[in-house]
Amino acid sequence: MSCLKFVNDIALYAGGDLPAGRIGRIESHLAECPDCRALAEELRASRVLLGELRDEPLEDAMVAHVRQRVMAEVRAATRQPSRLYWKLALAATLALLAVLMRPRPHPAKKVLAHSVGAPRATAGSHAAQTVVPVARKSRHRYHRAPAAAQPGPPLLVQFVTDDPNIVIYWLVNPKTQGG
Amino acid sequence: MTAYPRENSGELAAFERIMSQCERRVLRVALRLLSNPQDAQDAAQEVFLRLYKHLAHLDQTRGYEPWLYRVTVNVCRDTARVRRRSVALEDVPDLVAPQPDAYHDAARAQQREIIRRGLSCLGEKERAALVLRDVEGLSTREVAGILDSSENTVRSQICSARLKLRDFTGRLLRRRS
Repeated sequence: MSCLKFVNDIALYAGGDLPAGRIGRIESHLAECPDCRALAEELRASRVLLGELRDEPLEDAMVAHVRQRVMAEVRAATRQPSRLYWKLALAATLALLAVLMRPRPHPAKKVLAHSVGAPRATAGSHAAQTVVPVARKSRHRYHRAPAAAQPGPPLLVQFVTDDPNIVIYWLVNPKTQGG
Repeated sequence: MTAYPRENSGELAAFERIMSQCERRVLRVALRLLSNPQDAQDAAQEVFLRLYKHLAHLDQTRGYEPWLYRVTVNVCRDTARVRRRSVALEDVPDLVAPQPDAYHDAARAQQREIIRRGLSCLGEKERAALVLRDVEGLSTREVAGILDSSENTVRSQICSARLKLRDFTGRLLRRRS
C-alpha cells in the first residue's frame, strides 16, 4: 500500500513527463520495488504501442474522400456571389425600374401654321398650296430628335382650288411623310 | 451558410498545399479521438473548412500545426458530444488467435487494437491529452498550448489516462485468460 503514493509519478516517469526534482525519488523506489518496476514497464509498453498508432497507415481512399469533399465545398462556396454583389445588383435594378417607370411629359402639340394664301391662277388646273411646313429631314442619318421617336399628331395640308367652294384637306402622318 | 473568402487562385493553392501536408495528421488525430472512421472524416472536413475560412488571419510564422491540432480537438469534442459513442469492455471483440508464421506481427496488431479500444474508453480531455502527447509525440508544453490549459493540468490528465489505459488492457487480458 505504501507504493500508492508513487503511482502517479511512475505514470509520468514512464513517459518522461516527471519534473526533474522528483525523478531521483522515483528511481530510488523503483530500484527496491519489483511491483512498481513492473508497473513502469507496462506503462512504457503501452506508450510504445500508442506511438505505433501514429505510424499506422491511413487508407488512401479515406484521405482522398476528405480532400474531395473539402475542395468541392470550398469551390462551391467561393463561387457564391458576395453580399456586396447582391446589393449592387439590387441597386442597379431599382435604378433601372425608376428610369423606365417615371412619368413622361406629353410631347408638345404642334400648332399648325394654317394660312391660306392667294390662289395661284393656273388655267385648267388645281392650284395647291401647302400651308404647313414639313419638318426638314435631318442631315445626320442616324440622328434622331427625341420628338421624332414619338409619333406626333398628323399634319394638316390644305389645298385651295380655283373654286373657292372646293377645299381639299390632306392629313399627313409626319413619320411616314418625313421618310 | 458559412461565409468563405472569395476565390483567389493563390490563396486556394496555398490552402491545398497546407491541406496536403496536414490532412493525414488531422485525420489520424480525429480517428483516435472519435474511434469512428465516418465521424473522423466528417470532423477532418470541418477542420479544413475552418482552416480555409481563417487562412488569411492565421499567423504563418507560428505554423499551422498548433492551430490545426486545437481546432481538430475542438471539432472532435463537439462531434463526440453529438454522437455520444463509447466502447465498453464487453464491446471489444474476442481476438482471434494469430497464425504461427505471422505470430509476432499479429500479436502486435492485436495489442494496438486493445490500446485503440482503451483510448475510446477515456474521458475526452484525458484522451485528447494522451493522443497529443503519446500518439502525436508533442511536448507537454505544446499540448498545454493546444488544449489551452496549464502544463500541470496536462500532466495530471496524462497520468490519469495512462493508468486507466493500463487498467483497461489488464482487465481485458485477464478476461481473455
